[in-house]
Amino acid sequence: MSRFTDPLTGADAVGDPTAPELASGFETDSNAAQDRDEGAVNKTGTTTIGIATEEGVVVATDMRASLGGRFVSNKSVQKVEQIHPTGVLTLVGSVGGAQSFIRTLRSEAELYEVRKGEPMSMHALATLAGNFARGGPFFAINPILGGIDEDGGHVYSIDPAGGVMEDDYTVTGSGMQLAHGTLEGQYDREMSLADARDLAVRAIEAATERDTGSGNGVYVAEVTEEGVDIEGFDETDDAVASR
Amino acid sequence: MQDQNQQAYDRGMTIFSPDGRLYQVEYAREAIKRGTASVGVRTADGVVLAADRQVRSPLVEEQSIEKLHRIDDHIAVASAGHVADARQLVDFAREQAQVNRLRYDEPIGVEALAKEVTDYIQRYTQSGGVRPFGVALAMGGVDPDGTPKLFETDPSGTPYEWKATAIGGERETLQGFLEDEYRGDLDLDAGVSLALRALAQSNEDIDPGAVEVTVIDSETHSVRSLDAEEIASHLDELDTGGEADE
Repeated sequence: MSRFTDPLTGADAVGDPTAPELASGFETDSNAAQDRDEGAVNKTGTTTIGIATEEGVVVATDMRASLGGRFVSNKSVQKVEQIHPTGVLTLVGSVGGAQSFIRTLRSEAELYEVRKGEPMSMHALATLAGNFARGGPFFAINPILGGIDEDGGHVYSIDPAGGVMEDDYTVTGSGMQLAHGTLEGQYDREMSLADARDLAVRAIEAATERDTGSGNGVYVAEVTEEGVDIEGFDETDDAVASR
Repeated sequence: MQDQNQQAYDRGMTIFSPDGRLYQVEYAREAIKRGTASVGVRTADGVVLAADRQVRSPLVEEQSIEKLHRIDDHIAVASAGHVADARQLVDFAREQAQVNRLRYDEPIGVEALAKEVTDYIQRYTQSGGVRPFGVALAMGGVDPDGTPKLFETDPSGTPYEWKATAIGGERETLQGFLEDEYRGDLDLDAGVSLALRALAQSNEDIDPGAVEVTVIDSETHSVRSLDAEEIASHLDELDTGGEADE
């Protein structure tokens, strides 16, 4: 809380850099969040992948939601959503926390753009996402942020404690080790967007074969300077063939 | 001013008079006119802010009268009017600039900061039990993309963007001078000279020690205060150049 207050509302006039602009009624007591019945919380289990190339960014996710990784509670979850004119975020972890996180970041990016007259840079968006994950009301999430800005394509992983790390390619979720096995050695910054798409789909495929938290198809998001294109496929082969 | 009913709209809370005026805001503008002038000049490669310190007594330490304030690496403001009110807005702007860095890890844009400050000023024209800020700021800075920008805040909470402007006493005189003399292709040095010549419109005998000059360079994105020697050499050039013109 700063020493400047709004004389009309009594609220802090400077603003909390770690809280959403429109936060209200959120549960800020993290102990209460941890006390929830974990078995009843829908989790994405999940494998989500982000790959940055010169041409653009590909983000791919599986489609399974589960209860504790032991029961498939939904077989057609879209786990990658547009949050910015040229940016997407994946849902990883608690479904409620991830959905709320996406809605909040989408509003923040829109507010930033209309107030400042230019879209948010990916670095600013990743910083904000890290602040929220660290100090905000979002419970147990581990998403990937992928997008394009003036400096080109970027992929960030955001951990539940607010750690933000940029990389050329990154994976989060329960199937991450399996997906990495496919990605390592195959990635090349110079690769085409189509090749990156195929690589991402094959890596999701590998994870869905052996990770019980991942499966039921693949969603693929392509981000270029023109914008975001997201499509879902029940069969991973279709995601590749569609090129 | 002859209106018998004026008194009712003249004190206490800021409320509209029947003819749609906010007297408290207008009085705040009068308070600004009581101070000495400050000048802002936007050039092709940065912004110049200059202010004349009014030293009431030879015993006052000149450096203790602060009219130019660094807000962040890339933004500074000149103030005119109530010094105490200015200090509050200056610190508000400093905190807001840092909040932007904490929130987005990027320096705040000049327009964005000017609007944060004017939005805050506006709240003091629409709340009970408070008075408006009796201060105007000229905010100069460089946007993250290197574009120099100059904004003015006034007690109503309206932001104005300028190529060059004056705030404070004798504003009209200085503004008229700037309107005649301003060119878009000025470099920073020429901007400093123009700002000092503008200040000289209200005070013919400018004392280098009594003038403050700050430049915000769009190349380095940084705020730099000129020392007395640099200001003196600019003033010397003006003296010789000025006489030749006459």
